[in-house]
Amino acid sequence: MFYLSLIEHTLRLPPHLLHLSVDEAIKSELETLFLDKVIAKLGLCISVYDIRSIKGGFIFPGDGASTYTVEFRLIVFRPFIGEIIVAKLKESDASGLRLSLGFFDDIYIPVHLLPTPSRFEAIPNTRNQGRWIWDFGDAEEAQSEEPRFVIDGSDPIKFRVDSVIYPSIPLEQPENSKPFAPMVITGTINYDGLGPVSWWEEAEMIQEDE
Amino acid sequence: MMSGEEEENAAELKIGEEFLKAKCLMNCEVALILEHKYEQLQQMSDDPMNQVSQVFEKSLQYVKRFSRYKNPDAVRQVREYQLAEFELCVLGNLCPETVEEAIAMVPSIKTKGRAHDDDAIERMLNDLSLIKKFE
Repeated sequence: MFYLSLIEHTLRLPPHLLHLSVDEAIKSELETLFLDKVIAKLGLCISVYDIRSIKGGFIFPGDGASTYTVEFRLIVFRPFIGEIIVAKLKESDASGLRLSLGFFDDIYIPVHLLPTPSRFEAIPNTRNQGRWIWDFGDAEEAQSEEPRFVIDGSDPIKFRVDSVIYPSIPLEQPENSKPFAPMVITGTINYDGLGPVSWWEEAEMIQEDE
Repeated sequence: MMSGEEEENAAELKIGEEFLKAKCLMNCEVALILEHKYEQLQQMSDDPMNQVSQVFEKSLQYVKRFSRYKNPDAVRQVREYQLAEFELCVLGNLCPETVEEAIAMVPSIKTKGRAHDDDAIERMLNDLSLIKKFE
């Protein structure tokens, strides 16, 4: 969900911005500080919406820059538990799915939150990749050549947010590990209406025919 | 003593209680805001794409794709049904067609002793879909 959050922040204007007006300099510094960053409990900052007030302008002893206290609003993306979000498939392997919104892609659907029963069909000659198939319905249909409920990324996937964590920045990262993710969403698709949207469009069509 | 490390100033961010009850934005509202901002940047420079961050660009793409209404003000008028901010926004984003879908997506509209029976919810969904039809 997107929110408009009112924030108060005290910042220091670095001297290289002194050629700009105070408003422009503060806007620029706010954008540098917040845009594209995740702040724990606040979310991912998308854009500065407006600046409500600027106070201060004092120069502390020993400092070459002035300090301001700014009240402003940010547009942030902050998912809540239970929220239903539409996303695209980014990766699919034996540990589950990884989804993406384009601007944010640390969304994981682990195996135990896939619809039950599901099975994994590995793609030969790839490292660990494959597609997940929901074995719904009678056994014969599920084992047929083209199973009906496949997750293959051809259409958007609706999931429900199961948890959101904000891990702390690690002091050291081993080489070749995944880049640090400051906000991680774990989702589930194990409920009616969740999963690829095409799964449920078919259901609606069947109801209309009856 | 002022330190130079602005990134570690999260402790100075005062996100008080009242701020946490931030105003929810539906995807269609975010689309209008970001689009407007993008147009402002276009007027100011020849190459606005240079000025916007990747997150801005991808967010705009996402909200434009998953926007349901062109007139969010009309949707907010549906607030007479006494929904919480975020409930209205989730319904505005997902546009459930039946009462069962709505309750599945936003279970809180049925709980906590609220005066929301199925009829009231159905009328509200009808209003939302009428807004979409006549935009």
